[in-house]
Amino acid sequence: MPPVIEISGLRKTYRKRSRKPHQALDGLDLEVAAGQVHGFLGPNGSGKTTTLRALLGLISADGGSMKIFGEEAPARLPHVISRVGAVVESPQFFKHFSGRLTLQLLAESAGLAKTRADEVLEQVGLRDQANRKIKGYSLGMRQRLAVAQALLKQPELLILDEPANGLDPAGIHHMRALLQWLAHEQGVTVVVSSHLLSEVQQLCDSMTIVSNGRRIVDGAVDDIIAGHSGSLLSVKFADPAQLTEAKDVLTKAEEQVSVTAEPNRLVVTGAPEAAWITKTLADSGIYLSELITETKNLESVFLELTGTAPQNGQAVQVGQPIQTATDPDAAGIQIPVAAPVGADSAEGGQQ
Amino acid sequence: MNLYQSEIHRTRRRVLTLIFAIMAGVGLLALTVIMWFNSSTGPTEAQLADAQEIADEMNGEYEECASDENFFEDSPDWSWALEDEYYEDYSHEEMCAEFFTTGSEWVAEDFIYTYTFHLDREGVYIIMGAVLVVGLLAMLLSASAIGAEWTSGGMANLLVWHPNRLRVWGAKLGAALTITAASLVATAIVAFGLLYLTASVRGEVGNLNAVWWEDSLEIISRTVALGLGMSVLGASLAMLGRHTAIAGGIIAGYLIIGDLLVRFASIALRIEFPERLSLYTWVEAWLLGRKELFQWTAAGREETMVITSTDAGILIGLVIAGFAVLATWAFAKRDVT
Repeated sequence: MPPVIEISGLRKTYRKRSRKPHQALDGLDLEVAAGQVHGFLGPNGSGKTTTLRALLGLISADGGSMKIFGEEAPARLPHVISRVGAVVESPQFFKHFSGRLTLQLLAESAGLAKTRADEVLEQVGLRDQANRKIKGYSLGMRQRLAVAQALLKQPELLILDEPANGLDPAGIHHMRALLQWLAHEQGVTVVVSSHLLSEVQQLCDSMTIVSNGRRIVDGAVDDIIAGHSGSLLSVKFADPAQLTEAKDVLTKAEEQVSVTAEPNRLVVTGAPEAAWITKTLADSGIYLSELITETKNLESVFLELTGTAPQNGQAVQVGQPIQTATDPDAAGIQIPVAAPVGADSAEGGQQ
Repeated sequence: MNLYQSEIHRTRRRVLTLIFAIMAGVGLLALTVIMWFNSSTGPTEAQLADAQEIADEMNGEYEECASDENFFEDSPDWSWALEDEYYEDYSHEEMCAEFFTTGSEWVAEDFIYTYTFHLDREGVYIIMGAVLVVGLLAMLLSASAIGAEWTSGGMANLLVWHPNRLRVWGAKLGAALTITAASLVATAIVAFGLLYLTASVRGEVGNLNAVWWEDSLEIISRTVALGLGMSVLGASLAMLGRHTAIAGGIIAGYLIIGDLLVRFASIALRIEFPERLSLYTWVEAWLLGRKELFQWTAAGREETMVITSTDAGILIGLVIAGFAVLATWAFAKRDVT
């Protein structure tokens, strides 16, 4: 089955007379398969919203190609838009209208039955607030209304920009259940851009991580986490005096193994497996008291990939990678790596 | 068609539409009340009697003066006339005639002010004024329909539903024009009805013959056309500025200050027929069918410039079309962020 969304080499530079041009998208690629909940992740200013705006024809791209349901966007967008429901950035509505009237007018404009308004209001939990003016809605209620308007068309593709913004925990849970139901029970392809990593980890089947207007990595959420978790092992001893000796033994036993001594434990990476550590140390007459395999979560993978993880001695701005280098194992994918402690920044943005 | 209909419904449901409709209704009623109380078909018997009394008194003053040779000597109010050299050679009769009207010339009607509203003479101009005022409201409403969509963020939402921007602009403009046309025609009909009623009861309807209808309909049609143009202008300015206040500011700024500056500049630069640089001149020519401008040459000769409704229509149409094209281009090309 062809991808529902195909974006290739998308470029966009914002130019304003009084400001330096800002390159929002720098050859971004994105593919979304049908019937999935796809997370679109990236730090602030990484180009997520710009991508969605370009895809939906709100802004013009400077280069690249985009397709929705195999049709060129934005040229053929009017032909497929009836299959797409979308909310881009913060939900905005005419505040003097009620939620119901807002949806009824949208439904009417697309030739849909006005009764759809009540159906989607029920779906997003706004039935009791339907006749209230939007100016009296909380941010969370506006967010639900935005999702409701995206659902009006019974879309095959649902694009939501930060849908959990402003929702309370119960609202987030409800939204998650709704989106998963849509994707897995109704066959709707859902694209969710979000900065709530735990939310994406719980909600999405696949994801694309972007930074600085480029795709960093994409694939199934579990695969991405597993692919970047490595084998990080924490080793403790009954007698902390054995730390130095154990470090020497492990380092000499295998070239690829990296061992870092911390005050009460060793942190080992690159070991073939946990049992290898037990055996190697035991062969040298050292017996460990605790061996734990530490698994990275999406947050640590995200921070590592986008280069926004806090570094020792440095305050790193979100969205400002320190330095990038090509990972030979990642088939040309740009993987940010940490700069040396105290490294100077040419742009002065990491001081 | 669906989008156009929903735009009409959207505009109809706005609070501003309701406010403007109430303002227009109250304005028409106020106009009727004013006309009703100002106009009358003639004085009452009592008013006539009072006025006749005043007229008789005025006419009697001459008789009293003429019959009394010592009128001026005896009257403290008029004795000064005898000492005035100007009247030295005047006879007594001549002095009476100088100060008092002779021969019972005053009549009762001279002391009664009655205004009678004549529908056939004045009606069309009052209707034109009412339609113009409602046209201004419609222009603001059209500007607001676009401006509010931008400022509320609803435009981005709408474009996600309807990516064909020309279609969206066409639907919005079509809805604005439909509502404007309906409002203006309704205003003209209601105003005519109220004025007809007023004229029937408190004035004179006059002869509303075929010529009257032809002339009146021509003027009102041109006024409605101007109102439609104003609506397009308001919507276009709001589309260009992405805000109602920008459209309102530009229009109010030009009407109040801009036109004044143009007049000052034209006078300072000694331009021939300086009034032709004023928008009001062209609007007047359009509405009334013709406008003549006059000026005196250095040789003391009077020169005339005639602006016909066709000239005015072309110029006003080009200005409005220019803004509409600019707004269309801007909407089609701009990023919606």
